[in-house]
Amino acid sequence: MAITADAAALSAERELVITRIFDAPRRLVSKMWTEPEHLVRWWGPRGVTTISARMDVRPGGIWSRSMRAPDGSVIRKHGVYREIVAPERLVLTYVTDDLAGNPGPETLVTVTFADLCGKTRLTLHQAGFASVLAREAHHAGWTSCLERFAEHLSANAA
Amino acid sequence: MLPDHLSTTYAALADPTRRAILARLAAGEATVGELAEPFAMSLPAVSKHLKVLERAGLIARGRKAQWRPCRLEAGPLKDAAQWLEHYRRFWDDSFDRLDEYLGELQRGERKDGDNS
Repeated sequence: MAITADAAALSAERELVITRIFDAPRRLVSKMWTEPEHLVRWWGPRGVTTISARMDVRPGGIWSRSMRAPDGSVIRKHGVYREIVAPERLVLTYVTDDLAGNPGPETLVTVTFADLCGKTRLTLHQAGFASVLAREAHHAGWTSCLERFAEHLSANAA
Repeated sequence: MLPDHLSTTYAALADPTRRAILARLAAGEATVGELAEPFAMSLPAVSKHLKVLERAGLIARGRKAQWRPCRLEAGPLKDAAQWLEHYRRFWDDSFDRLDEYLGELQRGERKDGDNS
């Protein structure tokens, strides 16, 4: 079934970009993100159960989701919808709380759906405070800093 | 999962001067004076930035009172990368399931009770 051109890349700018092609029309793929009865069927790794899902799908609307992991721990994720342009584009903020309930760093998720003659190319872009780094990377020599840092780590790995 | 010190790390990294300081330290340890040189900035101002970086655990400083060389610390930046890796796996797994679910929907064969 999978016509997956699954190119997951953690770019040098520390932003997450994942591209996947689904063998389904764009309208349907996009609906999977905005209708709760569909979303709970695929959201989260296998073995994780969605125990509550709240979605107010409109700009400024809040979403939140609690999920139970196989070890019994409950993970809460939440955020705010920023932009909904069905069936092309969805932008939302995304926070994962830690197990004590403290919110983690806020990230911004942009999902775009491109029509490929009946199939759909989904591109997910996730960035957070890290994107601030990316913007000024060139001015500050940040990219080269990270490269050197990686060398530094591997040199000291032993 | 997402320990609070990540917020401290990102907050420390959110300033261009501090990132430039880290970039300089990636080349090797340096004193406050050496770090201040490229910036039109007083030593106390640079010291302030160093304190933020030190609190975030991004740098460590030597103990000699006058000549306190700064050097880069590995841990927090590694955590920041792991945090994104966590999300990458989350989406990859979810998209595998989405792929299967779309297949089911289109074949019109919804398997009842198979909602893991």
